[in-house]
This record gives sequence, structure tokens and C-alpha cells, in this order.
Amino acid sequence: MGRTFAMRSWTRVGGVLLALLVGYGVVELALRSGWIGRYGENVLMAIGINILLAVSLHVILGLAGQFSIGQAGFLAVGAYTAAVVTTRLDMPFELALLAAVVVSVLMGLLVGLPTLRLRGDYLAIATLGFAEIIRISLLNIDYVGGAAGMQLPHLTTWTHLFVSLVIVFALVLTFTHSAYGRATLAVREDEIAAEAMGISPTFVKVFAFAFGAGIAGLAGGLYAHTFYVIQPVDFGFLKSFEILVFVVLGGIGSLSGATLAAVLLTILSTYLQQFPEIRMILYSVVLILIMLFRPQGLLGDREFGDLLSVFRPKKGADVR
Amino acid sequence: MKDKSLVASAEGEREILRLKGVGIRFGGLKAVDNLDLYLLRGELVGLIGPNGAGKTTVFNLLTGVYVPTEGEILFEGQRINGLPPYVLARRGIARTFQNIRLFGNLSVFDNVRIAAAVHSRYRTWEAMLRLPRFYREEAEMYRVSEELLELMGLSAYREEKARNLPYGLQRRLEIARALALRPKLLLLDEPAAGMNPQESQDLMRLIREIRERFSLTILLIEHDMSVVMGISERIYVLDHGVLIAEGPPEEIRRNRRVIEAYLGEEVS
Repeated sequence: MGRTFAMRSWTRVGGVLLALLVGYGVVELALRSGWIGRYGENVLMAIGINILLAVSLHVILGLAGQFSIGQAGFLAVGAYTAAVVTTRLDMPFELALLAAVVVSVLMGLLVGLPTLRLRGDYLAIATLGFAEIIRISLLNIDYVGGAAGMQLPHLTTWTHLFVSLVIVFALVLTFTHSAYGRATLAVREDEIAAEAMGISPTFVKVFAFAFGAGIAGLAGGLYAHTFYVIQPVDFGFLKSFEILVFVVLGGIGSLSGATLAAVLLTILSTYLQQFPEIRMILYSVVLILIMLFRPQGLLGDREFGDLLSVFRPKKGADVR
Repeated sequence: MKDKSLVASAEGEREILRLKGVGIRFGGLKAVDNLDLYLLRGELVGLIGPNGAGKTTVFNLLTGVYVPTEGEILFEGQRINGLPPYVLARRGIARTFQNIRLFGNLSVFDNVRIAAAVHSRYRTWEAMLRLPRFYREEAEMYRVSEELLELMGLSAYREEKARNLPYGLQRRLEIARALALRPKLLLLDEPAAGMNPQESQDLMRLIREIRERFSLTILLIEHDMSVVMGISERIYVLDHGVLIAEGPPEEIRRNRRVIEAYLGEEVS
């Protein structure tokens, strides 16, 4: 039985890899040939980074059901860590990204361990406080430029972004479709029942939180080396809120939903930059409309795969 | 763990659970007081009492939700006071809940599969890298869960969200989920609540069947006296957190204190 699972998953993996390779190649070609211009490339980067941020919170809020309203804090940690590694320590960018992930995960454990042992919404308050502490600290550390921030080289390429996305999605998906992922969902659904079924809620929540923090840190590293400059003001509450909106709007619990919302809202917000005075107003109006007509989010708790499965014969297993 | 049970006497071997003077206090209120109780392997024992007698509190003590303020709880000869619920679940104490607690938005199948994971040993990174052990153990969980759904007559609903099931089936799913832990001791908290007489008769037959099949010890809280009298080999009666009677059903039925405790209620 184990072998059939494995075999099916290999053919699938093959198909997915092929699709990914083609997707990567097409965009790479378009970038090299100049068909996607400088502006287009920036939008592409912004979309990719926002997808990562949406996924980072999806793991914490969508899967584990824990309200983190300080994702920008981890974004900042990742961005500044990577920036220090490349500009102050003169190390390669890839190493900087790795450092961003590691430091963010450690920060996640630092915040998560004391707060996630408790039931309830302590995490929300703690993360809010954490993000502010990070921001204010950065503001007052001259080593990283204080309020003026840091000037950085543009190092993030499409390849970096693409590889990051693939790794993150692969890890999130394999995690979700494993006993650990299901245990995480169980804790989201009913912590007491989950615990009675042999699941340690603290482990599950801390793991998900650190996982999400790591993804946000990676996004931070990419972000820092895309837009030439980072400043503490970029990582305020509004940024955390924006990330929260991706997940809620896409449908809490849906990875596809969070991704879709991140893409749509990034495009919307880029488009609205032409009208700076009313940009936030229009943005808010869109949010209100969607919440009025689709309070469960764009996709509810469904995934793209579920929508496709309508066309497939009913399958027994979903082990991937 | 093994060593100690070897040392234990033959009597101790037969005994799976023992409570010695167990009590719990919430502020000034003594919810359960000086409770002595034992279960032998393979027994099916009822725990009854009027509303608010402390029956569910006893379950919460046994499963680690509450930590007793007095006394000692021994499971397979080992003291388990203060161990968290998930550790006790892994050790072999499974339960259902009086006010159903399913994973509502997850499928019926996943509800069972989540519990079946308790014996899987692969690590998070093994899952994320899809190493062989992941596939092997997932296949095993899959098989166990399917079997249990079949046994509990839930196969037709496997992809249904748990919260969309009718009430009686939700109760069955809770039992299936508890069984997926492959427990040694199963605690059922009013499994027949809200069922009509026919349904609860069917359920009792099923409970007897699963006890045989999985060689379980079962402690059953039940409000419906006729149900509990028909199925239990021994019965404990709680009132105001105190044990007022213990014995086989026919004795309990005639016990004056039990009748008084249930004042006004029929003790059929």
C-alpha cells in the first residue's frame, strides 16, 4: 500500500516539476528579452514577496488558528538580518537569506514559547508588541542606520524569488498533508479535543509559529534586496495588517486563497499608486465590499485542487 | 514501565486503574471528594449519578484535564497525577466528550486519522522530505482509520465535514476517533445522550462489540438508567462528589441511598 502512495506521488511530482520549470523559463526569458520591463519586474517581485508573507501567516493563522498581528516584525527581522550580512559582513546573498530565516525562527521561538503555552489570544497582543519593539529598536540602533535605514544593493533576482517560492510551497504543502499538519488543524478546530487525541498543543502551535516566522524572515531578506532601501517605518502596524488582510480575504485556512489574495491585492495596490490621495480609501472600499459579499473569504476553506477535483473521479486518498 | 508491572502482583496485573482517595477542590467547592475506584482489565463499568454529581469531573481527572488536589491515580500501576492529557492519550486512555468535541471543519476521515497518528513516529522533517517512513506510517494510519469507519458504520460519510453529520453519527464518530488511539481504557461520557431508545440499544450493542474486539476496559458515564443497568458489570454511584454506592446493577437498583439520590427519578 505504501508503494502505491509513493508511486502515485512520484508521477505527480514529475508533472509538477515540469510545470514549474516551464513557468520559470518563460518568465526568465521574458525578463531577459526585456518584454517584462523594469517596472514589471518590480511588480513581480512585490507579488512574490507578498505571496511569501501571506503564506507565512497562513501557516500561523490558517493552519494553527493563532492570531499573529505582528508579521511585519518578522519581516523586519529578516530584512535587517539579511542586510547586515550582505553589507556589513560582505557575505553572499544566499547566505544572508539563510541567516534571515534562522534569526526569524529564533525570534519566533522567543515570542512563541512563553505565549503559546497559554490558551486564548495572548499571542495576538504579544506579536503586536513584538513588532513594535523591533521597529522602535531598529529606529534607535545606529549600526543599521536608525530612522534613515539602510541603503542596499539590488541582489534579489527572479531566480532567488522563484526558488524561495518553490521551497516554501513544497514545505508548507508537505507539512499540511502529514500527521503534523492534520494535528495542527485539529488544534485550530478544538484544542481540548486535540489534546485528548495525543496531540501536544504547545508543540503544534510553537512549531507553526516558528515556521511562519521563518517564512516571513525569508520574505524580509528578499524584500530588503529588491527595493534598494529599508527603513523601520516600512515595518509598522500597517504592514502587519496588510498581511493579515491577505489571509482573511483569501479565506482563513486556504493556502490558495491567501496566495490569490496576495496577488490580487498587490496588483490592485500597485495600480492605485496612480491615485496616491485616494489609494487607501479605494483599497478599504474593496476590502469592505469583499467582506460584505464573501465574508468567508474569496475561497472559503477550499483550495484550487478542490475546485479541480470536480472534474476528477472521486478519489479515496489525498496522501501526497 | 515494563519492569514495574512485572513486579506487581497478579491482582495488580488484572487491575488497570485505581483511584485512591482522589479529590479535587475548586476554591471552596469540593467537586469530587475522597473517591476510591478501581477497574479490572476487560471490565465494563458504569459511573452514574444525578446532574452535577461530579461524573464528568472524574473523567477530567482521569484524562489529565484536571489535576487532583488529593489522592493518587494509578494507571497500570503507575502514578499518573499531573500528567497532561496528550501524554495520557498516548499511554492508552481515550475518551469521548459529553458535549461533542469533533474537529468540525475537517472530514470524518481526517477526524479519525488525526487520532490514529498517535502511534506514528516519523518526524516533521521526515514528512517534509517525504522519506519512506512517512509513506509507511501514513499508509498504516489510513488503513486503521478506514477499518474503524467501517466498523462504526461511517464509511458512507468519510468525506463529509464532521459538523454536518447528524447528532447520533457525531457520537459514533467520537467513539471511532477515540478507538483510533488504540487505547487500553476507554472513557465514554454519555454516549447515548440525545438518542432515541432504539438508537441507544444499537449503540450499547456496538459498545459491547468493540470491547470484545479491542479487548478494552470501558468506563461509561450514562444518565439513562435502563441503558447503564443493561450493559454494566459493575456500577459506581456518585452524588455531590461522593461515592454513595458500588456494586453489580441488581444491587444498585435496590440500594436505598441511590434511590434517594435520584429522588423522583425512576430507577427501573
